Amino acid sequence: MTAAPKTPSDLPPGGYVHREPSLLRRALPWLVTAALVIALIVLGQALVQNMQGRQKSFSIYFVERGWVRFLLFLLAASGVLALTSLLGQRIGMARTGRRISYAAVLGDQLTHLFLILVVLVAVYPLLYVLIAAFDPRNSLFAFPDFENPNILYRSGLMPRLDVLSTENFAKLFEGVTIPGWQLLLAGVGGASLATLLLLMLVGRFGRDSVGLQRTRTWALRVVIAALAALVLFMTPAQFTGFSNESKFLLSVRNTLFVSGVTGILAILLSTTAGYAMARLRFPGRFQMLLFFIFIQMFPVFLALVAVYKLLTDLGLGNTFTGLILAYSGGAIAFNTWIFKGYVESLPESLEEAAMVDGATRWQTFVKVVLPLSGGIMVFIFLNQFIGTYAEFILANVLLTGVEQWTVGVMLRSFTTGQFSTKWGVFAAASTLGALPIIALFYGFQNYFVGGTVSGGVKE
Amino acid sequence: MTHTMHPPIRRRPTNVPPQGTRGVFLALLILSVLIGVSFLIGWLLSGLTAQVLPGAPAYTILIFMLLTLLVLTPLTYRLFPWITNWFYLLPALVFILAFTVLPVVLTVNYAFTNYSGANSGNPDSASRTAATLSADRLTVTLPEQQGQNLAEFLKCAAPTCAGGTIVLYDEEASVPYRQPVRAISGNTVTLAAPVPETVEVANATRINRYEYVGLANFQEIFGKASRALWPVFLWTVVFAFSTIVINAVAGLILGILLYNKRLKGRNVYRTLLFLPWAVPAVISVQMWVALFNQQFGIVNKTLGLLGVAAVPWLGDPLWAKVSILLVNLWLGFPYMMTATISALSTINDDLYEAAEIDGASRWQQITNITLPLLRTSFTPILLSGFAFNFNNFGIIYLLTAGGPAQEGRESTAQSTDILLSWGYNTAFVSSGGQNFALASAIALIIFFLTLAISLVNFRAAGVFEEARK
Repeated sequence: MTAAPKTPSDLPPGGYVHREPSLLRRALPWLVTAALVIALIVLGQALVQNMQGRQKSFSIYFVERGWVRFLLFLLAASGVLALTSLLGQRIGMARTGRRISYAAVLGDQLTHLFLILVVLVAVYPLLYVLIAAFDPRNSLFAFPDFENPNILYRSGLMPRLDVLSTENFAKLFEGVTIPGWQLLLAGVGGASLATLLLLMLVGRFGRDSVGLQRTRTWALRVVIAALAALVLFMTPAQFTGFSNESKFLLSVRNTLFVSGVTGILAILLSTTAGYAMARLRFPGRFQMLLFFIFIQMFPVFLALVAVYKLLTDLGLGNTFTGLILAYSGGAIAFNTWIFKGYVESLPESLEEAAMVDGATRWQTFVKVVLPLSGGIMVFIFLNQFIGTYAEFILANVLLTGVEQWTVGVMLRSFTTGQFSTKWGVFAAASTLGALPIIALFYGFQNYFVGGTVSGGVKE
Repeated sequence: MTHTMHPPIRRRPTNVPPQGTRGVFLALLILSVLIGVSFLIGWLLSGLTAQVLPGAPAYTILIFMLLTLLVLTPLTYRLFPWITNWFYLLPALVFILAFTVLPVVLTVNYAFTNYSGANSGNPDSASRTAATLSADRLTVTLPEQQGQNLAEFLKCAAPTCAGGTIVLYDEEASVPYRQPVRAISGNTVTLAAPVPETVEVANATRINRYEYVGLANFQEIFGKASRALWPVFLWTVVFAFSTIVINAVAGLILGILLYNKRLKGRNVYRTLLFLPWAVPAVISVQMWVALFNQQFGIVNKTLGLLGVAAVPWLGDPLWAKVSILLVNLWLGFPYMMTATISALSTINDDLYEAAEIDGASRWQQITNITLPLLRTSFTPILLSGFAFNFNNFGIIYLLTAGGPAQEGRESTAQSTDILLSWGYNTAFVSSGGQNFALASAIALIIFFLTLAISLVNFRAAGVFEEARK
C-alpha cells in the first residue's frame, strides 16, 4: 500500500531523480481550495438570503445574540487553557528536567477542547433520543418549560429527568405472551452474556489464562445458541396486541432472522468462490473476477421492479425466503473478493504440504484453508449481518404484512402514521432496535477497524 | 516388470482444461447448458406439480431446479473432469445469475414495454362480469358490454381474438383460471379446449397484458427532462460528490488530531466518535427527522440559544439539501476517521524523523508526507464512496422522502430526489401511478451511469492489475 519501493530493483534506472513539480501542479491544491471556499461563500449567502425575514418560532426559547456569548465563552475557555498549559509546561519541565514546547502543550489542550465539542455534537443527539425514550410525554415534540429557571430546561435542550418512566417500553410489549421456556432461554442467554462481559473485563485487566479463554468461548456459544433458539421459535401468534408497536419485538426477531440467514448464506456462497479465485489457475478466472467486481457495483435494488416482479411471480412476495434470496444475490460478489484477498495472504506452503501428502484440492480447502479462516468468516458474517439489519428499500417493497416487517419498516410506520406520529414509542423502539448492533459493533470493533482500509483497497 | 502388450488405447477424459479463449468459452458453454437444462427440468417438473396439486406454490421451480443441479453436476464431472475448478464458483454463479443478472435482464426488457399497475399481465378484477358456460364446456357467453364489442373488452390483439386469453372464475371469484380463446362471435367466446370439470364458471374477465412500446419510455423521460431528469441528475452528482468531500475532510481532520500519540484519552474520544457508525443508519436517519423538526427539533432549540431563527431544515428545498449533507456527514465521518487512522499507522515514523532533522515544520510534514501518502489509500475509498452515495437511496427516502415539493417538477422528482429515488417513486409511490416500465427505463439509465463510474473507479484503484495477478 505504501508507495515507497522496498528493493533496489523497483527503482527506475539511475535511481530517483528529483523533479520540481510543474507550476500548475503546485498551484492545483490552492485552486481547489479557492474553488471550495467560493462555493461555500455562495452557498452561505444563499442560505442567509433564505433565512431573511423568517420569524422565530413561538415554540423555541430564543436568546438574542446568543452566538456572541458562545464565542466569548470559547475565547475565555481558550484563555484559561493557555494559563493551565503554561502551568503544566512549567511543572513538567521542573519535574522531568527536559525542555517541553509550550506550543505543543497548548495545542494539545486546544485539541481537547475541540474534540470535546465535536463529541458533544456527535453524541448528544443519541443521548437525547435515549432520554426521550423514557419520557412518556412524546418529548421529542414537546414545548420547552419556558418558566423554568434552569436554562437547559427553559430551552428544552435537556429533557425533564423527573418524569421518566418506562411507559413507552411498556407499549412495545403490550399483549406479548412469552411462554416459560422462552423466558428460561432468555435468562440463560442473559446470564452467559453477563459472564462473558465479566470475563472480558477480567481478561483485560487481570491475567489471561487458557482456562479463562475456554470459558469465554463457551459463554459466547451459549449466548449465540440461546439467541438462535429464541429467534427461530418465536411465533407471530405470541403477539396479541392490536397496534403496530406491540409487534415491535416480532420485527426485531424478523430482522435478526433475516440478517442471520443472509450472513450464513454469504459465507456458504462466497468461500468456495473466493478460494478458487485465489488459488486455482484456470482459463476464465480473470474474466470471472472482472464479472464479480462489476456485479458488485450494481446493488440489487437498482433492479427493484424486476426483483419485486420475479419474487411475487414465484409466490415469495411477502416472505422472508424471498427477501433473503434477494439479499444473497447482492452479498456474494463483495464477500468473494474479501475472502480471495484473505486466502492470498495465507502462505501457500501449507496447502502444498497437504497436497504432497495426498490430499485433493477439496480436502485441502476444507481441512487446511477453512480452519485457518475463522476470523475472516466472522468478519464476512458480521458485515453482512449489520448491512442487512440496516437495509430498508427491499424490505419496504417486498414485505407487506405487519407480521413480516423488519425493524426499519416498523420504525417508519411509527413516524409516518396516518393520524399520529408516536415519537415516544419511536424513541423507545430505536433504542431497543439499535442495541444489538451497537453491542456487536463494539464487541467486534477490531474487525471493523482493521477491515476499513484493507477492505477499501480491495473493493 | 515389463509390458509385452500395450493396453488398448482408450480416450480417457483429461484433467487438464483446454487453454486460452477456447477453454473459457467451452467452460461457459458447459456451465450454461448445465444451468439451462436444470432450469428446463425444474420448469417442467413444477408445471407437472401444478397440474397434480393446483395449490402448489410457484417457487417449487427453484427447488426442482436445485435438485436437478445436484444430480447433473456429478454427471458433468464424469464427462469433463477439468470442470471441477468451475464447480467452486458454481453456487455463487447460480445465485448471482438468478437474483442479480436475471433481474437486470428483466429490467432491460421492461424498459421497452408499457408494464404498469394497469397493464400488469394479471387478470383485471375490476372489469369482471357474469359469464355462462355452455353444456359442452367449450363456449362462454358474456352479457352485453356497454359501448364495447367483445374483442375490445378482452383487449385482444386480433379482431377474432384467436390466440387471446380469457380468465374464468367460480362464484366466489377466488381462483382465476386462464383459458386460451379460439374465436369470438357476438357475445360468445369459443375456447380452444373444453374447461375441465373441476372448474366452475360464473364470472369472466380479461388479462391486462403489457406490450412492447419501443423507445416510448425514454422519449417520455427525455421529453420531460427539464422537469425531472436534468435537475435530479445534477443533484445526484452534487450530492454524491460534496458528501464524500465533506466527510473526507472531516474524517481527515479528526483522524490526524486523534493520531497524535501525546494526546491523553484519545481512545475515549475514538470510542465515543464511533457511535454514529455503530447505530444502524436505518434507525438514526429516522431519528434525525425528529431532531430537525422546525418547531420542536433539538437542532433548532440549540440554534435558538445561539440567537438564530428557526431554520426550516426539512421544509425548504435548499435547506433540505443541506440537512441531507449534514446527516450524511454525521453518519459517515467515523468511517473516514477510522480509515485515516489506519492509513496513518502504516506510514513509517522514520519519514517524520528524517523530515524533522531536515528542519521541516509540522505543517510541512503534514502537506509533504502525510497527505501524499494518504492519497494512495484514500483514492479507492473516495471513489467507492462516490459510487455508493450515487445510489444512496436510504438516507434520501428516510430523511426527506425526496421532498419538499418544488415548482416546475414532476411529482415523482422533487427537490431532493436522486435518480434512484425518482425511479422508486415512479414505481411504488401513488403519485407515480405504478409505472413500472418507466421506472425500469430510469433504472437502465442508472445502470449505464453506474457502469461508467465503476470503470473510472477500477482504473484508478488498479483493480484490473490486481485481478490479472
